Amino acid sequence: MARLDGKVAIILGASDPRSMGAATARRFAAEGAKLVLAARRKDAVADVAGPLGATAVACDITNEDDLIALAKAAVDTYGKLDIAINYAGIEGGAPVIETTAEMLRQQADVHFVGTGLFIKQMALAMKDGGSIITASSLTVLVQAPGQGAYAGSKGGADVLVRVAANELGERGIRVNILAPGFTKSAMTDAYFAMEPVTRAFLKEMPLGRFPTVEDIAHCALWLASDEAFVTGQRIDVTAGQALRRTPRADEFA
Amino acid sequence: MAGRLEGRKALVVGAAGADNMGQVIARRFAAEGAKVAVAGRNRAALDAIAGEIGGVAVECDFSERASIFAMVDAAKTSLGGLDIAVNATGWGLLKPFLETTQEEIDKIYALQLRGPFQFLQALIPAMEEKGGSIIQISSATATILFHDHDAYMATKAGTDHLVRSVANQFGDKGIRVNSISPGVTETPMTADAAAVPGVMDAFVKGYPLGRYGTSEDIAAGCVWLASDECFMTGQNLQVNGGLTLRANPSKADIEASVVAAMVAA
Repeated sequence: MARLDGKVAIILGASDPRSMGAATARRFAAEGAKLVLAARRKDAVADVAGPLGATAVACDITNEDDLIALAKAAVDTYGKLDIAINYAGIEGGAPVIETTAEMLRQQADVHFVGTGLFIKQMALAMKDGGSIITASSLTVLVQAPGQGAYAGSKGGADVLVRVAANELGERGIRVNILAPGFTKSAMTDAYFAMEPVTRAFLKEMPLGRFPTVEDIAHCALWLASDEAFVTGQRIDVTAGQALRRTPRADEFA
Repeated sequence: MAGRLEGRKALVVGAAGADNMGQVIARRFAAEGAKVAVAGRNRAALDAIAGEIGGVAVECDFSERASIFAMVDAAKTSLGGLDIAVNATGWGLLKPFLETTQEEIDKIYALQLRGPFQFLQALIPAMEEKGGSIIQISSATATILFHDHDAYMATKAGTDHLVRSVANQFGDKGIRVNSISPGVTETPMTADAAAVPGVMDAFVKGYPLGRYGTSEDIAAGCVWLASDECFMTGQNLQVNGGLTLRANPSKADIEASVVAAMVAA
């Protein structure tokens, strides 16, 4: 028996075939789950969903009506919702003294407000318990100068997850944080194109290689499965970088 | 369908008590296709579990360095390799802080800090050629408090930090080192306390998921950390239904709960 037989899962943030969301979708499909994949661009997510027999839905995490419709799509199509994963995220870096109100609000809107609304609407749709997973970031634990707005918004969401986990336990809903490190994915192409950057990062990874989107998908599978008696926790998949540091910009020369 | 640990060689120390956490972990590993060595002090109990799961039994006194090194060597030799090692030993000492004796502090230090330290010292050379996964069973009380448990909590917390340091140093050998923190768990070690009506009612209020843990929950966490799919190292995994979001009951909470159970009976 596969590990997610009979489960219905939503994965938000799966529009690129090389994303964590798409890798998770492939792994979950292989483990027997029925899937609803979502992203802002429906045409792109439909390309990922098609070969997996999954349903594609357009969803902007900052729009609560979109999230209501997303949960409804899972329940209407497959009869229920057991697992919901949020990988939606945006980049945005600047030193604190150059960070504008607009930049702060944009990061907070996607990572903090979005995560809060995602947990709310997914939990409301889960009638028989479930597992909610939200992607955070290594930058919450390990200082990354220039990432104040990003890390701050992710860190705020982490605290919110812990409160949600405490509240939602009585409904049988587990809520956890999956925190990837510097992962080779669609979102990090620009960084991986710069050899001095990858060299500096690799030095800070005890396990000696970059996390892959498949590594993240394996961890999502563990957290999603019924055998994980875990809630309100943050699981770091960083090649051990959480034990060390983020390289400084002057090391990228 | 192949198990998740097919062909792996695993050592579980602390598996010499009938149905204790180490035995439950050993059974699950075997069910997932691993070849398992079980270790501990009680030969008869080890032989029973080894016979049941088709594994091998290795005697070990976890408070003796030579015994720990000999155990790792014997396990690796008899299994034909060593990919996974779990330390599920422990001594659940309950003693008020001011009354804890030097003998008790020395004994728990030997079992819960020096023993794990030397176990890691023995495992690194045994695993450095091929890599592996090492799992230390810690405790939620390394993070949240429990009454009369000072020596236990302090040594568990110390070992968690040791896990981080060893993970940092030997990741380049392909060795991952993590710990798992159970909360109060249904085991032979807790059976006497759990038999008193009202005691477990007090504990369960600390669990967002509405139940306390089982050894099977911990074994499931061990399978995840042990499998090649897991790319975590230096982490402490809280497998306790969210207990650390709340708290253990105080001594007064437990006493009140026991009284309430007596009144209700």
